[in-house]
Amino acid sequence: MLRTTLLSLGLALLSYLGASWLTEGFQVWTAEGARRLTVIDRPMAAPAVNIAGPDVTRRRLSDWLASDGRVTIVDFIYTRCHSVCSALGSGFQQLQQAIAANPSEGVRLLSISFDPAHDDAARLRQYASQLRADPRQWRFVTVPDHAELQRLLDAFQVVVIPDGLGGYEHNAALLVVDQRGRLVRIFDYTELDAALAYALALVPRRAAG
Amino acid sequence: MKAPHFAIPSRATWLPYLGLPLLVALLLPPVRHAAESSMTAHMLVQYAGLLLAGGLLASLLPVRWQQGLQRWNELGIAGLVGSALTLAVSMVPRVLDLALLDWRVESLKLLALVLSGAALRLSWRPAGIVVQAFFLGNVLPMMGVVGTLYQDWDTRVCNAYRLDDQHDLGLALVWIALSVAIAWLLQLGLQRREPAPILPTGAPDAPAGTTETLRSTTPSAGKA
Repeated sequence: MLRTTLLSLGLALLSYLGASWLTEGFQVWTAEGARRLTVIDRPMAAPAVNIAGPDVTRRRLSDWLASDGRVTIVDFIYTRCHSVCSALGSGFQQLQQAIAANPSEGVRLLSISFDPAHDDAARLRQYASQLRADPRQWRFVTVPDHAELQRLLDAFQVVVIPDGLGGYEHNAALLVVDQRGRLVRIFDYTELDAALAYALALVPRRAAG
Repeated sequence: MKAPHFAIPSRATWLPYLGLPLLVALLLPPVRHAAESSMTAHMLVQYAGLLLAGGLLASLLPVRWQQGLQRWNELGIAGLVGSALTLAVSMVPRVLDLALLDWRVESLKLLALVLSGAALRLSWRPAGIVVQAFFLGNVLPMMGVVGTLYQDWDTRVCNAYRLDDQHDLGLALVWIALSVAIAWLLQLGLQRREPAPILPTGAPDAPAGTTETLRSTTPSAGKA
């Protein structure tokens, strides 16, 4: 029985080590949880992919994000979406109102479409006006080149899968990107207040007066 | 090579030979990708197929090997502990996602499931009712809970799989857990009518824990 006990304990230890490795020390059970944890530990620089959208012509995403000293809250969308993206859209509307109430606070919004085949600049402009987006706070872009788009999705671990109805399912979230263009934190798309508070906390306090 | 002897008599002696073709088929990239394209197929086709292939292959092991393994696996305890833990780890949602992206996780997953199938096959009969009940008492409620969670969550637990797929799998896991429990209880009821020993390992007269009979032919001095 000793050998059986030893082998059982060995297998239990092996499983424990394996499970611990797979769950980052029993902290996360899903890939989404792991993605969010990874970003906290190691901020992810936005890749230098070319973006295009209304009033944003062919610029590198990394440059755009690091261009004006503001923190950016990013979401990934496609304009034909009627489920989770609508929630993201109204969430971003609320964020826009909160930001507009105090424009000096140094936070802006960016919606990136992962469906460049449908979402060209004209379509994005229409979508933006539909959502009453104010371009001072909220921009819409896509990544026209498919290889570059995939590079961006891989870097930010955005997984887009066909939903079987001609649309997509994707791990929608609020991505906070700091002034240097690094993805530093990911929030649930329902956690608007937390995401905004976190973004605001990244903004350096200006000397009063 | 002469015809091998089987420790576990099987009504259809050709059946175990399907283990290798089944395993090869499951590992073929097109089949593997097809099975992993849906969360439900990933668990119910691939996982189940790998367990089955492992089990079939294990019954082809020569008797001497099986007996040798038995010394490390009295009452099937080590095998059942190992497969219960493997099943638990394999049901972690992140494993399903990672297996698609990371070849190390994928290889370990495939290997662990084949070995678990083999371990189940080699351990099930030696385990007897008590150890079997303990194993099922852990694995089936776990499956039921995982299945219920998969159904109830309106958030996707796997980034690579759709929500409706997750709900289907959840429902299926609950049904499988229930069916296995009922099937086990039924066969238990049938078995009880026959004079089957409750712990069918080793010599029938030997008290539990003294199953050295496989190794020593001379009876050791019986000091109680």
